[in-house]
Amino acid sequence: MAKVLLVNPVVREEDIPRHIPYGISLLASIAMKKGHLVQIYDANAWRKGFDVLEKVFRADDWDVIAIGGLTTTYRFIKKAFQLAKKNSPKSILMAGGGFITSMPQDIMGWIPEIDLGLVGEAFVTFPEVLDKIDRQDFNFSSTTGVVFRHKNGKSYLTPAKPVIKNLDDLPYPAWDLLPLDIYFKNSANLFSEESFTAKRRMDVNGSLGCGLVCKYCWHLGTTGDMIVEEDKAGENQVVFTYGRNIRYHSPSYIVNMVKHLYEVYNIDFASFIDENLMTMDAASRGIWLNEICDLWKEKGLQPTCRQKNIPHDEDCRGVHWNGTSHAGLHKFETLKRMHEAGCTHLVYGLESFDPNILKNLGKGSTAARNKSSVGICLSSGIKPIPNIILGFPEETFDSIKNTITAMKELGITAKPHFATAYPGSEWYYSYKNSIIEQYEGDLEKYIAELGDASSISATISHHFTGVELIGLQEIIYKKDLRLLALAEKNWHRNRKQEQINYPQDSINFKSKSVRGPMEAEGRTF
Amino acid sequence: MEELLKGNYKVTKNIEIEAEEKSENNLTINFKKVALNSIGGSMVYVERNTLVWEGEEEAADKKNEIKSS
Repeated sequence: MAKVLLVNPVVREEDIPRHIPYGISLLASIAMKKGHLVQIYDANAWRKGFDVLEKVFRADDWDVIAIGGLTTTYRFIKKAFQLAKKNSPKSILMAGGGFITSMPQDIMGWIPEIDLGLVGEAFVTFPEVLDKIDRQDFNFSSTTGVVFRHKNGKSYLTPAKPVIKNLDDLPYPAWDLLPLDIYFKNSANLFSEESFTAKRRMDVNGSLGCGLVCKYCWHLGTTGDMIVEEDKAGENQVVFTYGRNIRYHSPSYIVNMVKHLYEVYNIDFASFIDENLMTMDAASRGIWLNEICDLWKEKGLQPTCRQKNIPHDEDCRGVHWNGTSHAGLHKFETLKRMHEAGCTHLVYGLESFDPNILKNLGKGSTAARNKSSVGICLSSGIKPIPNIILGFPEETFDSIKNTITAMKELGITAKPHFATAYPGSEWYYSYKNSIIEQYEGDLEKYIAELGDASSISATISHHFTGVELIGLQEIIYKKDLRLLALAEKNWHRNRKQEQINYPQDSINFKSKSVRGPMEAEGRTF
Repeated sequence: MEELLKGNYKVTKNIEIEAEEKSENNLTINFKKVALNSIGGSMVYVERNTLVWEGEEEAADKKNEIKSS
């Protein structure tokens, strides 16, 4: 059977490792079930540097070295592939995850060491290609969901692989293959008292994708959002659309998994890494989250502080949890039940309090809903964590004033993210030419600089430069309307009236619903 | 030894990490990380360990010398 090394790249270098590589450990689990020999090197957890990574590459005669991650890990991944080729030249070098799915042809050009890329959901593709490699069959031209390198060096993208129909067919991730003690050591975070005192926090995932069409977001080609089409030159390209295949685990799968983690790993906190729990709940017509909450209590996971209705302290037993919500989709009754079951905080991507920005964003919320959501969530007992963005294409002094005014009313202090056009998002294709221009023709440099949007990369604001946005971020943080008025006065005085960032059309994005393929029922892993 | 690789079989070669070198590197790396995250006001960070200055001031002086001679 194939001898496989899976490498988790370093994520958010400036922070400690907080999140287990969920997808990689799932793929490891699937490959092991098929009988393959699998090792995981979690570079993000260990943070040992590239010297140690080279030793890892030399530790065995790997048939496959697979490295995957989000676009924000691009710099690490590029270097890692170079070192893999140098230290293990006979291995097949395989890429996967968001960084290659969003721009397969570009990545294959920028990292010539990659032999094969898995594009989109890899639950079926990964074991399929391992099986071919086992049989010494290296012709991937008829394998869907891959980009492969031909002997002539050119890369070819095959049609999209249908996503699986039923997420409950998936095995549990291979947690035993991860250095969990490192993650447990970093359990605490600053979102709620309960998460602040967490000692053994673990990530769990209940769903894939999201029904919304926010222009800054994309869904890794795993939510029916991706198809493959030929461009004018006859080359296959990924195309992202508003198409959606909504999939979520059954409440019993989720709660049984958390129960397993509680019993085997003694976890005290479960972080749902789902894109948006509320959109899944809406898709289930409000049944999904209520059932999860009921089962949470039934299976003995409800924390004792919630059972007894007493303040939380370090003696509390059971499993607290958190997730993501939506201002237009949450319901007080559901939030209340979530709180009773142990939910501590919910991240709300409010993004802005400006009606015009929200109208154009595709988020499905309004300024009024954004405002009311904070109070509704608080009154359920759950802490809302409102995220704010600055630098929208339509951002003006008035929109910033609306946001600051609401933040003052609601008692929110935030240093906003900068609006960032990540590959795969509608914004990226609308503003690609402008991004390339801002990076002096070097798109790869932009990709290599992309982080978590807390610093400026390329701007997409029609009115503000990067320098201005940095100052405006500080003004929002301070909620200083006097300083904002002063900045506006100077801006009008000095501004050369021109708009530079015009949206454009792109082969890679369709602003309509064209669903990616999905399998029929009955997949066995 | 820390188990850097985890899997469903034993790998062919052990991965040796030199403990002293590792801790020294870690201290430098960790210090840099914490220092850079604290930048602001009087908290500044100098990345270099050595620097031989061959900058503009000297060059300008030489230019002036030539002019005056």
